Amino acid sequence: MDATPSSKFSDVDEYGFKRGDHFDYNNYSKFMDGYLKTLTRRRMKWEAILQQNTDLTQVDAKLKRYIRKGIPGPYRPDVWMKISGAAAAQRRSPDLFRNLLRNEPFDKEISDSISIDLPRTFPDNIHFDTKKQRLYNILIAYAHHNRDVGYCQGLNYIAGLLLIVTDDEEKSFWLLKHIVENIVPQYHSHNMANLLRDLAVFRDLVIRRIPAVNRHVDNLGLPYPVIASKWFICIFAEVLPVETVLRIWDCVFAEGYKIVFRAALAMFVTHKNAILGCDDIAALANLFRDTMIQDNIVTDCHGFVEAMFSLRLKRSELESLRKVAVLNPA
Amino acid sequence: MGAREDEYDYLFKVVLIGDSGVGKSNLLSRFTRNEFNLESKSTIGVEFATRSIEVDGKTIKAQIWDTAGQERYRAITSAYYRGAVGALLVYDIAKHLTYENVERWLRELRDHADQNIVIMLVGNKSDLRHLRSVPTDEAKLFAERNGLSFIETSALDSTNVETAFQNILTEIYRIVSQKQIRDPPEGDVIRPSNVEPIDVKPTVTADVRKQCCQ
Repeated sequence: MDATPSSKFSDVDEYGFKRGDHFDYNNYSKFMDGYLKTLTRRRMKWEAILQQNTDLTQVDAKLKRYIRKGIPGPYRPDVWMKISGAAAAQRRSPDLFRNLLRNEPFDKEISDSISIDLPRTFPDNIHFDTKKQRLYNILIAYAHHNRDVGYCQGLNYIAGLLLIVTDDEEKSFWLLKHIVENIVPQYHSHNMANLLRDLAVFRDLVIRRIPAVNRHVDNLGLPYPVIASKWFICIFAEVLPVETVLRIWDCVFAEGYKIVFRAALAMFVTHKNAILGCDDIAALANLFRDTMIQDNIVTDCHGFVEAMFSLRLKRSELESLRKVAVLNPA
Repeated sequence: MGAREDEYDYLFKVVLIGDSGVGKSNLLSRFTRNEFNLESKSTIGVEFATRSIEVDGKTIKAQIWDTAGQERYRAITSAYYRGAVGALLVYDIAKHLTYENVERWLRELRDHADQNIVIMLVGNKSDLRHLRSVPTDEAKLFAERNGLSFIETSALDSTNVETAFQNILTEIYRIVSQKQIRDPPEGDVIRPSNVEPIDVKPTVTADVRKQCCQ
C-alpha cells in the first residue's frame, strides 16, 4: 500500500525505519488514533513519577505496572539504565568502555566479522549510515571485554537498536552487556548452549499450552530453531516492528528473561489459527518469516503486550523446564 | 501460482553454506523470487525458501535452507543438514579467505551430512571482476580434485544463478532416479546391505503427485 497523500503518516517511522511496501497505513492509522491518546496519558503519568524522584532501581508492583504499559520514548534511555542495573554497573567501572576502545590494535578476525555486518545492520534505517562507526565501537569494545562471546552475529541488531534509542555509545555498551550477561547468558557464546536449551524449553511450553499447534508444526517438519532462533538471539530486534520490540524491551529490562518467553509464546498463541491454517512447510516458514512479523497483531504493540501478559507463565515453571531441557536441547 | 503449485514428483532439500557475507541469502532470493537486495541484512538463525523446476518432464521442488555463516551458528544447525541431498558451498571470488575456508566447510559436511550429498562449489560475486582474488582455474581444479561440481555466479546481475541450481538439482535427480531403477521403493523388503540408501523420506519424496483417488 502506498503512502497516499491522504495518509497522515510518513513512509519513515519516528526511529528512521523506512516503512515497507506492504505497510498497512489504514490499519496503522486506526491503531494510532487510539494509541496516541494512550501515549499522552502515559507520558503525563511518567512525568509525575519522575518528578517524585521515585527510586527506579527498585521495580515494585506499581512501577512494574507502569513499565508494562510502556516507557515514553524520551525517558527510555535513563529508565532502562536504572531499572536494569546497568547504570549501577557503569558507576562501578566508569572508565571501562573508554579503556576498551583504547586497546588497539583490535583482534583482526573479530574486527573483520563486525565490519562485514555494519552495512548489513538496519540498511532500511535512514539515520543509520551515520551511526556505523559508533555501532562498531560498541561491538568491538564488548567483544574485547567478553572474550567468551566475542562478536556474535545478531548482537549488531541489539546494539544497533540500543544506539537508535539512546543515541549514546556508552549507554548502549552497558545495556548490551546487561542483556548478554544477565538477561540471556550463554545465548551468544561460542557453543550457544543456553540458546539451545531455551529453544527446547519454548517447544515444551508450546506443547503444554497449545498442543495442537505443536503437533501441526511437528507434522509439517519445521524445526523450532528455524522458527525462533532469531527471536531469542536478537530479543525480537529486527524481527518485530520496532515499537513492539521496544515495549518488549521495557519489560525485559524490568523483569528479565521470562519476558522473552512471554513474547515468543504470545506469537504462537495470537497466531494459532494462522499456524494451523498452513498446509505445508513452505507456507509455515513464510508465515513465520514474513506475514506474522509485520501483521496487525504485532503492529498493535499495545494489544500484543496485553496478550503477552494475559498468558499464565511462572518463573518456577521455566526453571523446571530448563533443568530437563539441559539434558535434551533443541 | 496455480493449483499445481503443491504438486511435485520429487522434493529435494538443498543447503547453502559458506562464510559470512559471501552472498548466500541473495543467491537464494535471486533463485526463488528473482530478487537481489543491495541493502541486504545479516542472516540470523536459519531461513528457508522453495521453488519448483522441471527436469525431464518431472517437477522437482527444491527446499533450500540458508543459514548464518558465523562458525558458532553451527551449534543450532544440526537439524540443518539432516535429510539434505545437495549443498551449495559458496565463497566470494573477491575475498580469498572465504575460499580458503572452503576446506573447513567440506569437513563440516563430511561430519554432519549424508555421505552421498551432492556438493557444488559456487564462486559468487563474479560481477566484481576488478576485485577478483580467486582465479577461476584454481577453484575449478580444487573442485575437480575434491569431486565437486563448480560454477561462478553473480546474484547481483543474475549470471549463472539459475544454471547453478538447475545443475545441482538435475544431478541429484539423476542419482535418485537411477537409484529408483536399481532399487525401487516398492521392492525394499530385500535391500542389498552394501547399497547406501539416500534417505528418501521425508525430504526426497518420490512420486507424490496428488491423485484424485487419494
